[in-house]
Formats: sequence, C-alpha cells, structure tokens
Amino acid sequence: MRMATYQFPWNPFDPADPGPCIKFSVTRYVDDIENGKSIGLEYPEPPIPTALIDTGSPFTIISKVLAKTCNLFLTNPKFPIRTLNGDCDTEEYCGPISFPGSGLPRIGAVQILARDFYKEASYACIIGRNILRRWDVRFNGQGRLVTIIAPDSFKS
Amino acid sequence: MAVASPLEIELKVFEDHRRDWAQAHLGKFVVIRENNFLKAFFDEYEDAFKAGIKEFGAERNFLIKQIWKTEPVYFVA
Repeated sequence: MRMATYQFPWNPFDPADPGPCIKFSVTRYVDDIENGKSIGLEYPEPPIPTALIDTGSPFTIISKVLAKTCNLFLTNPKFPIRTLNGDCDTEEYCGPISFPGSGLPRIGAVQILARDFYKEASYACIIGRNILRRWDVRFNGQGRLVTIIAPDSFKS
Repeated sequence: MAVASPLEIELKVFEDHRRDWAQAHLGKFVVIRENNFLKAFFDEYEDAFKAGIKEFGAERNFLIKQIWKTEPVYFVA
C-alpha cells in the first residue's frame, strides 16, 4: 500500500496559534461536476481555505457559507448536535475533500456538518475524527512538527 | 402555501420505518429519496452515499440516516 506523508510546523506554546492547520478544498460530488462540464456548464475553481485538525470533534465541520458556496450535496437537513450553547439541528452534507499542496490523497466522499463560524478568522473547517481515523497523525513536541501519514486507500 | 423543507418527505419515511429497521439493522445507514429507499443497508456513511448516487443520481439530494432506536446527539464544539 502506498503512503503519503505531509509534515508541517506547529508551535503549541504560542497562545495566538489556532492549532495545527492544513489547507483544504471541498466540492460538489466529482461525477456530478464532470457531467455538468460535459454539457457545457462551467464550474469555478473551489476556494482553498484553512482547516483546523481537531481530535476532539467526532465529525468534520465546515462553515455554512462554504457549504453553500461549494454547493455540497445535502444528506440530512436536521442532524442533531449538542454544543456549549445547547442542543440544535444542523445540516449534514457529503462531498469529496482534498488537501492541496500536501500530497495527501483526496477523500472521495466524506460526511461534513455545517455550522456558523462566528468571528473565526483563522480557519473555515474543523477536520474531525471521521477523517482523522484514516490517517496516522503524530506530533513531535520538541521538534514542533506535525506529521500526517495517509494511505492511498482506507478500509475501516 | 407552506413550502416543504429539504428532505422532509424522506425524514417522514425514515420515522415511519425507524422501529422496524432498528430491530434488524441497528447502527447501519439507510438511503432514502422521496418514498423510495435502498434495500441494502450500509456499515459506512460513505458507502451509503456512493450507493445512493449509483441508484438515484446526483441531480437531487437524498437522505442518509444512521438507524438508532432514539436519535443520538453528538457533542461538537
């Protein structure tokens, strides 16, 4: 099995540092885009915002604005969640996610929840455990380096 | 006239079947579009999505729900 490795610096001792972050891109389901292109539709290049790697989150979460902008595939309009402010429903989407510039393999379809990212300027996505379970993520505290090792394919 | 919210029909179909499905397919994912649902049940959300695309296409959304007797609430930040 081929493995991709991506390594980047992170300083956990800087209180202004939001955490270990990675560039990402989400789009509508790829086959749907290809079908659209085949009949002449044009699709703008997706934005490449920043995501926070968060082992505390069970799911990957992106901003609602980004979910709408990228026209993700809605799979549940009422996904129940609990936050520090109480219980509420949120929208669940599905789409492929890639990590430009990292060499990490694209994930063809991933469950993504959408939330408002109030006043959060550092990132527009939280990479949760539904993605992290595919990777081997290591943090070298002395070297202040994060290493992600990802197989080309994943079987749970 | 009231406008139906997205996947409202599908959520009702799920609730109508929840009790039966929970007995035989607890923890699995089901795919529903309008009043139709896939006969197969899936261990993984991603597999359910791919099967839904294959069966229903990508033009319109469909519902993917994990089957529990009562709806779990997951903590997210």
